[in-house]
Amino acid sequence: MLPTLIRRELLDNLMTFRFAAALFIMLLLVVANTAVLIKDYERRLADYNTAVKKHQQKLQERDIYSPGFAGVVLVRPPNPLSIFNVGLDKRLGSEIGIRPSGAPTLWEARMHGSANPLLNLLSSIALGFIFEVVLSLMALIFAYDALAGERERGTLRLVLTNAISRGHILLAKYISAMTCLLVPLIISLLFALILLTNSAAISLSADDFLRIGGIVLASIAYLSVFYLIGFLISAITHRTSTALMLAMFVWGFLVLVYPNMILATIKTSDVPQERAVSALNQMKQIWEQFDRERNRFLAADAFPGEDQLFNIKEPWGFGYDEYYENALTLFAEYDRQLNFQGIDEKYQPNVPHLQNYHRFLIPLTIRTADRVWLIRKEALVDTLVRQANFKRTLLKLSPAGIYDAATQAWTGTDLSGIRDFFDAARQYRKTVMTWFDDKDAFAAREWFLSDKREADWSTLPLFSFERRSVEINAKRALPDVLLLLMTSLVLFMGIFLLFVRSEV
Amino acid sequence: MIWHIAKRELYENLNSLRFGLTTLLLLALMLTNAVVHLREHPKRMQKYHDAVTASLNVLRARADNLYELVKRGPGKLYKKPSSLHFCADGGEAVLPNVVNGGGGNWSWADGLSSIWRLKYPSVTPNLDNIEPDVTKVDWAFIIGYVLSLVALLFTFDAISGERERGTLRLMLANAIPRHAVLFGKFFGALVSMLIPFTIAVLMNLLVLSTSRSVQLDADAWGRLGIIFGIALLYTCLFLALGLLVSARVQRSAVSLVILLLTWVTLVVFTPNTLASIASGFSSPMSADEFRKRVAQTEGALRMKYATYDENQPQKRRRELAAYVTEDAQQNERLNQERLSQQLAQIQEARSITRISPVAMVQNLFEAFAGTGFERHTQFLENVRSYARQFREFVTETDRHDAKSRHAVGVREGMSQKEVAMEAIPKFRDELSLNRDFNTTAMDMLLLALFFIVLMSGAYLAFVRVEI
Repeated sequence: MLPTLIRRELLDNLMTFRFAAALFIMLLLVVANTAVLIKDYERRLADYNTAVKKHQQKLQERDIYSPGFAGVVLVRPPNPLSIFNVGLDKRLGSEIGIRPSGAPTLWEARMHGSANPLLNLLSSIALGFIFEVVLSLMALIFAYDALAGERERGTLRLVLTNAISRGHILLAKYISAMTCLLVPLIISLLFALILLTNSAAISLSADDFLRIGGIVLASIAYLSVFYLIGFLISAITHRTSTALMLAMFVWGFLVLVYPNMILATIKTSDVPQERAVSALNQMKQIWEQFDRERNRFLAADAFPGEDQLFNIKEPWGFGYDEYYENALTLFAEYDRQLNFQGIDEKYQPNVPHLQNYHRFLIPLTIRTADRVWLIRKEALVDTLVRQANFKRTLLKLSPAGIYDAATQAWTGTDLSGIRDFFDAARQYRKTVMTWFDDKDAFAAREWFLSDKREADWSTLPLFSFERRSVEINAKRALPDVLLLLMTSLVLFMGIFLLFVRSEV
Repeated sequence: MIWHIAKRELYENLNSLRFGLTTLLLLALMLTNAVVHLREHPKRMQKYHDAVTASLNVLRARADNLYELVKRGPGKLYKKPSSLHFCADGGEAVLPNVVNGGGGNWSWADGLSSIWRLKYPSVTPNLDNIEPDVTKVDWAFIIGYVLSLVALLFTFDAISGERERGTLRLMLANAIPRHAVLFGKFFGALVSMLIPFTIAVLMNLLVLSTSRSVQLDADAWGRLGIIFGIALLYTCLFLALGLLVSARVQRSAVSLVILLLTWVTLVVFTPNTLASIASGFSSPMSADEFRKRVAQTEGALRMKYATYDENQPQKRRRELAAYVTEDAQQNERLNQERLSQQLAQIQEARSITRISPVAMVQNLFEAFAGTGFERHTQFLENVRSYARQFREFVTETDRHDAKSRHAVGVREGMSQKEVAMEAIPKFRDELSLNRDFNTTAMDMLLLALFFIVLMSGAYLAFVRVEI
């Protein structure tokens, strides 16, 4: 009996205007936007390549090791899957320098200088957003008259006179409508994939296809939730016009109003002040200890006095050493720069002292920075990250928010995905510092002085950022997908209970 | 006759579900908007006033010497926040709110150094903001997105519904002209939408005016009136669209599907997609290219003034004054060129998105609320004219001092008299309604044109259709 019912419903749905309209609009929007998004991605990729090349060139030209204004700079590659959900990929900093005095984080990252900063005024959309808006609307349009319509026309009573269980009717309607809704989704996605694979700039790996599969899964779950919301409305109303009106307002509320309104209404406290202050104090204490150790070294040093420059006064160079703090991003660091282009003969005897001092100072700086990072990391998670995540959780009260979070997690453009890059950058900082250490570069003349030998960068290990494996994406995305599926299940059970007990 | 039909429509609507839901939705949105504005605006104003005071203090510290003023300029110039920020946010978070004129980047060992020039901030603020992206709930959003959707929900079945029920035939059997039916329906829907909308707007303004920290002056009320008028025109446009489709289509369900899909394409996607396409047409100077050009021109200028006759210190002083002035001008020109390229890219994108009425309405709201892109360009213009004024002041003051050698830009060559703080022109960031009318006339006319086209389309469709 069930297959017959499904077939009937399927034919009913397929031959409708709304099905044709859904297919048409999805194809139109997805194909047009994919073309635009691919262009955009290609531009970003070109900018990325330019930036990487520029920094490599600058590094090769650099004749001292000490990381001054430039040094080793890492560039975050654009994510090819940002076409599906751009997330934070475009918005957060994309370039970070590697310094001994601090671990690189996204809070210090800059934008590489290709793009027009005003472009942020124009909002950009991704395929995920099209699915989010159009699919949910389509699902409701398919669902609003599923029961109310049959009830109005009287066919429901007719169907129920046969020996058909009510559960089967619901199931048949659900399965057939979902099949119909999947058609526009899958076809438009296929077109998008064709365009994607045709683009020379984008090469998708097997993992990427799995991720796209994950996005499809999330889309299906999302579709199912909205279909069932419409179905529920249809089950509780007696007239299709009422059902339609209700469905449209629910859609407007869940997709349009709620996500934008909730963050404005809920007054989130500013960053927990005590936590930030205590973390900053702790970090300051560590740096003060660093300062003390440094002074102790200088006092014990054979050179008289506590001059960090060992009396070297040269016009062709500069050096400074300042403590910076930023309470907003919990940043606390000594910014130290030392750069001589040449040293006068009469100061030459002082240079070995400076070298010796650096042999002691830089490893100490690195160790201190590592300790500071441990504190800062926890404080950042407790304040900024927790606050942002709380807002994301609030957004998840609407299925649209859950869907957005799930697709972001699959594409790797969510906060965790971006933080992966900075994790890799921190790892790379360790590698670079070990490389310096192995060369004994901290104590070398060319750490700060560019008169005799030049720095040799040829053996520096290269940085390459691989996005985390698809399992990690799945781990981040599946809770949200499961949440959508759970919501579907609950909704379906609710509808079942309502429908079984209702008068026809 | 029209009024009779309109009244009937109105009564019918007042009892309907959509009327209740619309009232609820609009009220919730408008109240949120007011509460958020009350919370944010005093902070914004405080920040602005603090910044301006700090900037004035910096200026006061420099005022004792004319050369210091020439060299280091009048301090940071801040954009004044608009009191109508709640009408349109305009992406203020990603627009810089300050122009930091700064001294130059070089100085010579003999004391000569580059002088003040305008510099435009090139970094995006907000780079480390890890919070989720959401649209601000401002009037532009409420009206542009929500009200337009509601307008379609009020009209999709206006004619097709009656046709389905058969009442249309009944009505036309009487001696009622068809246009009367159409306009009656139009006005009925308009009034029944205006009731919840006006209530929501009034509630919003009521909440806003209870607070003493947010005060609206006569000019602001005038602007609010214009914004309300634009909202009205925009609503009419969508009502006309709804009537057009409703008149052509036999069944109201089909009419709604068509309308919703049109709405989604027109309102949600067209502005974004077109903006993405249009912004690809031009590519402004990149930061690296800019730096390269600055270095190039600076080098060329230095070469030009490198040789001189040591026996003529007077002439040399004049030359050096010319050099630093030219250097500053040249640098400012390059800065300006880069900025105008960036602005042009956005301008291009914005003019293409005008195809979508929601983009038009957003532009209009921003223009009249004094926020967003247009406002930013106006701020930059104000800054430039102030810079001119400031330089004129310096030259004038120097000219009036008989002891000065009139070599503006060189310490020894300038007036050493103290400058009165009161005499220095201060930066005032002001808006003019006149200018706003000029820049927005096009958008308003387009909006009106859209409405007329759709309404006459609806009329033609309805007059010629078989019942």
